[in-house]
Amino acid sequence: MSERNSTIKIMRGSLGTMINQIEELTDSEYDLYFGPAHPGSGNFSVKLKVDGEKIISARADPGYLHRGFEKLMEYRLPIQNAVLSDRICILEPLNWNLVHAEAVDELMGIEVPSRAKYIRVLMAELSRIQSHIIWYGVFSIGLGFDTGFKMAFGYRDYILDIFELITGGRVYPAGYICPGGVRRDIPKSAQDKILKVLDKINEMIKLEKLENPSLRSRTEGVGVLSINDAIRLGATGPVLRASGMQTDVRKDDPYEIYDELDFEIPVRKEGDAYARYLIGIEEIKESIKIIKQVLSRLPDGDFIDPSFKKPKLSAKIPQGEVYIRNEIARGEAGVYMVSNGGNTPYRCKIRGPSFLHMIPVLEYLLKGAQIADVPAIYWSLNICPADMDR
Amino acid sequence: MIKMKIGILIQLLKNLFSKSMTVKFPHESIPIPDGYRGEHDYDINKCISCGLCAKICPNRAIEMVEASEEYREQYQKTYPKIDLGKCCFCRLCEDICPKEAIKLTKNFFLSTFDPSTVIKYPMPKNEV
Repeated sequence: MSERNSTIKIMRGSLGTMINQIEELTDSEYDLYFGPAHPGSGNFSVKLKVDGEKIISARADPGYLHRGFEKLMEYRLPIQNAVLSDRICILEPLNWNLVHAEAVDELMGIEVPSRAKYIRVLMAELSRIQSHIIWYGVFSIGLGFDTGFKMAFGYRDYILDIFELITGGRVYPAGYICPGGVRRDIPKSAQDKILKVLDKINEMIKLEKLENPSLRSRTEGVGVLSINDAIRLGATGPVLRASGMQTDVRKDDPYEIYDELDFEIPVRKEGDAYARYLIGIEEIKESIKIIKQVLSRLPDGDFIDPSFKKPKLSAKIPQGEVYIRNEIARGEAGVYMVSNGGNTPYRCKIRGPSFLHMIPVLEYLLKGAQIADVPAIYWSLNICPADMDR
Repeated sequence: MIKMKIGILIQLLKNLFSKSMTVKFPHESIPIPDGYRGEHDYDINKCISCGLCAKICPNRAIEMVEASEEYREQYQKTYPKIDLGKCCFCRLCEDICPKEAIKLTKNFFLSTFDPSTVIKYPMPKNEV
């Protein structure tokens, strides 16, 4: 008898849990994880609270790619840090090389030879084009436009060939732009090759104009960021320019030889994903203009300060502190370096543009959006998880 | 109705009859330019055992070790042992070497299943 009672109890109990489960299932609110092992997210995750198809709130979850560069740099010589600075952002290592090298140059009071300055700008702009091409590629594949992705990564390879010729590595230049100048002179054959590659990139831009109509319909009016919100949330670079603010560190606070060059800053007013994509394409055109000017004016002379030709173990960094900012492909990058007179920096703070784009801006834009629009918003911000986590 | 642009079709036809971008790899390969940062070429006879390469290496992939017993009479100092697994191929060892004993070659076929082949011991060139 008692056995029977207990089975009834169990049945009642299981019925109760079943009813609870059914109630839970009919509740339309749930959590959705976008990343970090999601093919469309990079090494970064966003926790989405979703009601049906609509996102109620989004919370960025950084830290998956943290490598601790700021601490590592305190134990290394400037030339070793130049090699390390490649890895801050995998997609545009040369731009990060330049920010770091400028900070050390300013602290040590090095007068960089003019040929080195031209080569630095040349490489930084090639790196910017390459980064924008990746942006276009991942943006396309995020929206299911595979042709765009394959086209972008195919044309990016031409630029990687130039990097291989000049720096000796396809993706990582290994501190090519180092304190004092650049580590190697550009070979004589490079000039013609670069011009040929620029023609190829122009060809790609023409192809991009033949875009898939579905790409346009999925990005127009999606993820609109007004200019006030963009400034409030700390957006910089292409994201801020797509919202209508004319700003560029290369014009506002010129470094290297940017004040001698003639180029324009593309600005759009819409502030949506499509406007950001168009800004990327316009910037590739401007970079091509800059590279052509640099190549035509490239002076002769040393490519590195003669005292830095051989790496030195004993070079001391004079006491002081410096903050250097540069315009890299994703926005404004900064390095704040403090030295107490030793041969390694005392503190090196890195300010990456992606941090603010990936946390406040992304969280703000995803709120109230549809699930299907997540990749469009996410990739239109031109973000790099490596740069954010550092 | 969505207006379709025909430009992409022209491109498609062009691509059908153009040469492919890839090459048939084991039989032919894309030439690698000079100055590529690949596997190290180390010449023990030029080395003066100064240890600068071990000090500059950002990843501490180079360690100064004694030569193996059969060579110890001939080579009595310490010589660089390179761990390719740790190496980031930055070429600082080549740049700092005062005697050009370490040079980076164009060889990039370095993937292996055998972990012991990852470490390069300092041995005379022709005798190993």
